[in-house]
Amino acid sequence: MTNKVCVLGAGSTRYGKLNESIIELALNASREAIISAGITPKDIGAGYISNVFGAADKQVHIAPVIMSNLGIPYVPGLTIESACGSGSVMLREAFANVYAGFYDCVLAVGVEKITHTGTTQSTTLFSYCSDFFYEGGNGASFPGLFASIARAYLSSYEATEEDLANVAVKNHENGMLNPKAHVKRRITVDEVLKSPVVASPLKLYDCCPFSDGASALILCSEDFAKSVSRPYVEIIGSGRGASPAAIQGREDITTIPSTVNAAKQAYKMAGVTPKDIDFAEVHDCFTIAEIIDTEDLGFFEKGKAASFTREGETKLTGRIPINPSGGLKSKGHPIGATGIGQVVEVYEQFTGKAGQRTVKDAEIALTHNFGATGASAAVHIFKKVK
Amino acid sequence: MPNTRQEEDRHGVRDKFVKSANEGKILANKCTNCGHYMLETVYFCEKCGKNTFDIEEVDGKGTVVTYTILAVAPEGFEDAGSYAWVVFKLKDKPFRASGFLSNIANPADLPIGSKVTVTGYDEKHGLLLKLD
Repeated sequence: MTNKVCVLGAGSTRYGKLNESIIELALNASREAIISAGITPKDIGAGYISNVFGAADKQVHIAPVIMSNLGIPYVPGLTIESACGSGSVMLREAFANVYAGFYDCVLAVGVEKITHTGTTQSTTLFSYCSDFFYEGGNGASFPGLFASIARAYLSSYEATEEDLANVAVKNHENGMLNPKAHVKRRITVDEVLKSPVVASPLKLYDCCPFSDGASALILCSEDFAKSVSRPYVEIIGSGRGASPAAIQGREDITTIPSTVNAAKQAYKMAGVTPKDIDFAEVHDCFTIAEIIDTEDLGFFEKGKAASFTREGETKLTGRIPINPSGGLKSKGHPIGATGIGQVVEVYEQFTGKAGQRTVKDAEIALTHNFGATGASAAVHIFKKVK
Repeated sequence: MPNTRQEEDRHGVRDKFVKSANEGKILANKCTNCGHYMLETVYFCEKCGKNTFDIEEVDGKGTVVTYTILAVAPEGFEDAGSYAWVVFKLKDKPFRASGFLSNIANPADLPIGSKVTVTGYDEKHGLLLKLD
């Protein structure tokens, strides 16, 4: 027996304003993942569920409700919350349990249902993910927190608001190729710059949308994967990190320590360096986040991501494609599902299901997802199995 | 006011921070072991892990490190007019705090490095600042 952990199946709902309940969304994604893995629910030893605002759809303790409606009411489920990073943090726990040998096969499903609450209430609910006594309670919305990070970055490095807009334009371009993306609209730098200010210096098109949606994976041991004649992807690295909850507590506001530390662990475990990564799905909740992520993950030197993005290095055909799925910006950001949705993209890329957005000759990929302004984060690295 | 030790432990820390803010001060902990400064709401020293502190009421004056001006205000701030959420470094102390600064309409009004002062604490808008 080896302790290699594999992604044997994946499924996802469309992301957007959806009519289904939170439970139906989770079940629809789970069913697709189970069928794609070529297993039945009876093969699942445990369920891991990531979600933040279940109460907004009148359901908390969602894990047993999901397991019961999958027809496996006696299989234990666990719900994990880590704000916008819930999916990747949950993935880490699911991964760790298979890696440790507690289970041969588990379900990992992330879900969020929020758009029915409207923009004002959604903004308020999201602000509860900040260190509320110091941030939300003093009038900082989430766009406001990232706007403060953006102002610090733009005043420290050679980067402009136009450089931030380039991230949005690139991710919308990729999202056009993703049938499940929330915001399918090609945009220009000029449109981004002229869109209404939400929290200066960030404008509407610098911000990801509020989305509903669910994404699911089947994780299993290598022995289990080999016993099922379906394509699979290997998880070769996993890391978790943390940062001071409030950005006032960070020595440098232009970097996110949780990302740096999670990435270090994942690279070490995988035995690879940033140069070995063929594409990455990163947490671009706001355009500034992708700029900072790609530096913190080691793809670019500090202060250089804006110029490399401007030169097209992060495009689908660039040196290091970032967010081929369209990212949070275009694919959408159902916060409990996002970290799992990134892995669905890796699975589709490595099993020939990504269509026109396929990254040519890719064999190693990285996913990065954080909670709030990066107070929590996880990074995972994947290898294509030929 | 809390009247038992347990209630004080549960509710006292933030209440004390608010009381100081209403006197224009930021309440800080200085670790008696390593001298590290942090906000009074942190229970153990971030550097050495000890939990004995000298409590200092730091003058609530500082310089702006970064900020944003909210065009879309969250719930509870709809009537706040045009305002900024500000991260500021305390004068002569090696730590930062953040607060609410009213009457800021555009970035030209608030260059990074501007001086601000704590004026109080409002249940509705949190730690209140004024531009010096």
